[in-house]
Amino acid sequence: MKTEGKIPPVARLQYVSGDLIIKEGDFGLSIYEIISGKVGIFVDSSGTEIQVATLGPGMIIGEMSFLAGTSSPRSASARALEDCCLEAWHPNMITTAYKQMPTILGLITGKSLKSLVRMNKMVSGFSSKKRRAEVEQIQESSQPWSSKRSFYRKEFDKECVYRPVNSPKNLKLFGRIKDISRGGMQMVAKTSNSLDYSHVPGDEFLVSVYLKPGQQVNMTAKIVKLQKGETSGTISMGMTFTHMTQEDQKRLGFFLMP
Amino acid sequence: MTINPQVYSIVVNEESLPDKSVIIKEGSGGDWIYVILEGRVKIKKQTSKGLLTIETLTEGDFIGVMEFLKQSKVPRLTSAIADGPVLVGTLDTEQLKRDWESQPLRLKKLISSLMQNLEDAIKNFVDLAEASK
Repeated sequence: MKTEGKIPPVARLQYVSGDLIIKEGDFGLSIYEIISGKVGIFVDSSGTEIQVATLGPGMIIGEMSFLAGTSSPRSASARALEDCCLEAWHPNMITTAYKQMPTILGLITGKSLKSLVRMNKMVSGFSSKKRRAEVEQIQESSQPWSSKRSFYRKEFDKECVYRPVNSPKNLKLFGRIKDISRGGMQMVAKTSNSLDYSHVPGDEFLVSVYLKPGQQVNMTAKIVKLQKGETSGTISMGMTFTHMTQEDQKRLGFFLMP
Repeated sequence: MTINPQVYSIVVNEESLPDKSVIIKEGSGGDWIYVILEGRVKIKKQTSKGLLTIETLTEGDFIGVMEFLKQSKVPRLTSAIADGPVLVGTLDTEQLKRDWESQPLRLKKLISSLMQNLEDAIKNFVDLAEASK
């Protein structure tokens, strides 16, 4: 066949954790099959990336633009959640087969595509609404620990252990606290931590850190701000403390003294 | 809206159903695909807070597609319930299977992935709805 000669060979691409593979709004028709690693699908909602799906080996990325046609921009972004290998297909590899597909399969695919676009919008809308409500709740809270980031912040760089509240006690996620005050802290963690456990504003974690040797402090902290870390493959979380024992408050207070 | 003639040509059975009839029950087996010939059908999923409506389908829409294209004996993810009197057509599953199997592997992978994403999005939406106050 003439067209077969024009189809470029399948390319294998490597991405490191945090890399953007597809950007929402861009125009592109390439289709990717995940060979190894995990990829997050994100939808923009008022300037914030909302993760709507996590895909693994064997799954396809970019199929929505292909199915919707050349004039449709990418409906979501895809970002590597860990180091991964993808196989890139040129759309010509399947365009002819897709056009020649029996009408009923084409109709089923088209209607399913519409349903998926609608569901993704509902999910991102719901997530966005939930996050706003939680942030507002934090801001309006009268607890002294929730709005005291105006306190003196001490910069330091300590490893901490944390886990989502209500998770198994033996679960250990690792992060680094970059600064701390009486009201909250800035914590950096690997993006891979968010693969199995949600890390979005409003999520609450039990955090344990040694401020100095022998001076362990435990607290419950909630994410109020989430952004990409300065280092590739990391996330930076602005957190406010929602619970700390009086004893730990004292330890932190002494630690923060100039 | 008129039903596409090629779809209608593989309708093997037509059934008129009264309001609130259960066409597909969540958790049940089966890989039949139906097309709505007249009326509306609500797609619902059981949650801890009761039945949640995921989508309302109308004439020309298909019911039971995800389970069919998975080609494995998975239980139905959602229920399909008549929203008023409906006329549904059962499609010739054997013909559809033949059509599907004759497609190139990459195209099948692409469409299967679309179905999996749709299933995940529905589960995601239900989780969020359950977590909301």
